[in-house]
Amino acid sequence: MFPTPIEKRPRSTQITYQAFLPVALILWLLPLLAVALFSIKPDADFTNGNYWGVPSSFEAFNNYGKVFFESNMPRYLLNSLFITIPTVIGAVALSCMAGFALGVYKFKGNLLIFFIFIAGNFVPFQILMVPVRDLTVSMNLYDTKLGLVLFHVAFQTGFCTLFMRNFIRALPFPLIEAARVEGVAEWRIFLYVVLPLMKPALAALAVLIFTFIWNDYFWAVVLTQGPDAQPVTAGITEFNSQFRAAYHLMSAGSIVAALPPVAMFFLMQKHFIAGLTLGAVK
Amino acid sequence: MKEAYWEDTMHSILKTSLAALVAAGVTASSAFADGHALSGDLKIISDMSNPAPRAVMEGLVADFGALHPELNVELTIVDREAWKTQIRNALGANPPDVVNWYAANRMRPYVDAGLFADISDLWAEPEFEALASTKGAMTLDDKQWGVPYTYYQWGVYYRKDLFDQYGLSEPTTWEEELANCQTLLDNSVKCYTIGTKFLWTAGGWFDYINSRTNGYDFHVALARGEVEWTDDRVRQTFANWRQLIDMGAFIDSHQNYSWQEALPFMLNGEAAAYLMGNFAVAAMRDGGLTDDQLDFYQFPVINADVDYAEDAPTDTFHIASGAQNVDAAKEFLRFVTSAEVQTEINGGDALGQLPVNANASIDNDKFLEQGFDMLSNNANGGIMQFFDRDFSAEMASVGMEGLQQFMVFPDDLDEILDRLEETRQRIYE
Repeated sequence: MFPTPIEKRPRSTQITYQAFLPVALILWLLPLLAVALFSIKPDADFTNGNYWGVPSSFEAFNNYGKVFFESNMPRYLLNSLFITIPTVIGAVALSCMAGFALGVYKFKGNLLIFFIFIAGNFVPFQILMVPVRDLTVSMNLYDTKLGLVLFHVAFQTGFCTLFMRNFIRALPFPLIEAARVEGVAEWRIFLYVVLPLMKPALAALAVLIFTFIWNDYFWAVVLTQGPDAQPVTAGITEFNSQFRAAYHLMSAGSIVAALPPVAMFFLMQKHFIAGLTLGAVK
Repeated sequence: MKEAYWEDTMHSILKTSLAALVAAGVTASSAFADGHALSGDLKIISDMSNPAPRAVMEGLVADFGALHPELNVELTIVDREAWKTQIRNALGANPPDVVNWYAANRMRPYVDAGLFADISDLWAEPEFEALASTKGAMTLDDKQWGVPYTYYQWGVYYRKDLFDQYGLSEPTTWEEELANCQTLLDNSVKCYTIGTKFLWTAGGWFDYINSRTNGYDFHVALARGEVEWTDDRVRQTFANWRQLIDMGAFIDSHQNYSWQEALPFMLNGEAAAYLMGNFAVAAMRDGGLTDDQLDFYQFPVINADVDYAEDAPTDTFHIASGAQNVDAAKEFLRFVTSAEVQTEINGGDALGQLPVNANASIDNDKFLEQGFDMLSNNANGGIMQFFDRDFSAEMASVGMEGLQQFMVFPDDLDEILDRLEETRQRIYE
């Protein structure tokens, strides 16, 4: 098996590995640690150039208090939820059905449609910026949560369908044939035979899409503005006033904004890792 | 200032105090009581989207609505940055009556496109004489296109304690300025901190040295693209600037810092002064400087033959040429320019800036007081709007890059000026 598990390597390799792992980890986490440190500093530390030293006063309660009670952050967090959850439901529901159709039925153009779904994933989304913005403006969906949800559902369905189709393909087909012999309607087969078997895939995909959408910044900036519709990733910049950047509040806001996906990861670790590998290995 | 951005209660305080003022003062003011009642809708789009300005704007609308009960005022607040790209769209299709924008050359595209209404008749009213300091900035093609509601001064903020320590006083001439600087450098203190990472701070230096060397009219002509960058008078500006650069007056590696990141040098005493806008005061106070340590002086005279011209970026209201309710729009402009309202909205608990109306009063703050006095009485040359507002957008962006390069590599001057001149010819000719 490649790579050789670390337990089977010579002792010297193991020691090097154990020595370098914490170093790599700290290097990797350094930016995050800096943000965490900034978030408990007072504003004065930044004007005085005390970026990396000990905070001159401990302002965690103050800063996080301002984030929660004196800014639009709660509203932005709520927006993020209202954008992320419908997107997850929409994308997963659509891709289940599309995956079922592509995975179970043999019809002309099946492969072609499947390839179109896959090809969609290879379109760099930045080139869609201008047309998608124009489209949402002319549909009166610009600066609405619905506009963002619809776009995300449309764009994520490609990847989800690939994932679901491959998963359904791997299910034992005789189960479906047996149900057909019993005379079960096709939509009941989908609902009562296939869907229960897809639970691990559903969970994995939902977790994955949740983090994708929650962390989206690009489309949030392109398609929305202001606290009415903007999700938290874009709303953090609101802490900047016209002239000054409020590093301490932006840091505190970033930490708050990053918590839901992090919590999601730790709670659903198993599904998350399954999600990354399920569709790929077949 | 920091608190002001977070103060939710401020809105209501402002509202009640404005309402009280309106109740007390309005009957005396002829502008508000000229008989005919305004009615219909008044649509306003504002870019005052930061928390404190937003509260000010909402308070303005509420009070104006209270004065004119028949009038239905509709306010839309747009993100300040987003508004810069949306204004053209907004003025074109289904235009509102009143919009926010900026003075001077920034008005040019909308004036040329016929999107702003000519309001010279308003400016002819006697009440508007109190706004004389910005009349030039509101004028294009000999007509006025908007009214100012707030501005703030630029100038040199310096460490008074360091000046006292080395026996220096506020310079009024270029020679005194250079002598002061030499003393500071001899004591291993840099004369000026500056952070040119985002370029615009260098624009402030150019505005001042150029207008002090060649005068306001020359500076504006250059901004309009009427003078060549390779002109000898422009070279004289750079030669004066170079005196400071060659002395080592500016902190090292300034191209790596934002304006905020350059503050620590002044706060910890490595540099003695900062050419900046008044918004820097709040940051310096937050950083621990007291009003005994911090003081302000007007940029010194270089050429005794030219009047003082000052950078004071002005924020404005305009009437769209497609406005449906012009009467109400004009009344609103009279309202926001009145001394009482300008006093209120520029107070420390509101915008914390300077009222443009010379009859307005200001908060008890030594920097606001000095700035108000300077702009109202000692800026006879004219009010500049700052490099990136006076020059066209494209010229400003190429120009500020050139200024930053000059500050780091002053020997590149010829190459820089050639480049700027090429850009000028491409844009203006």
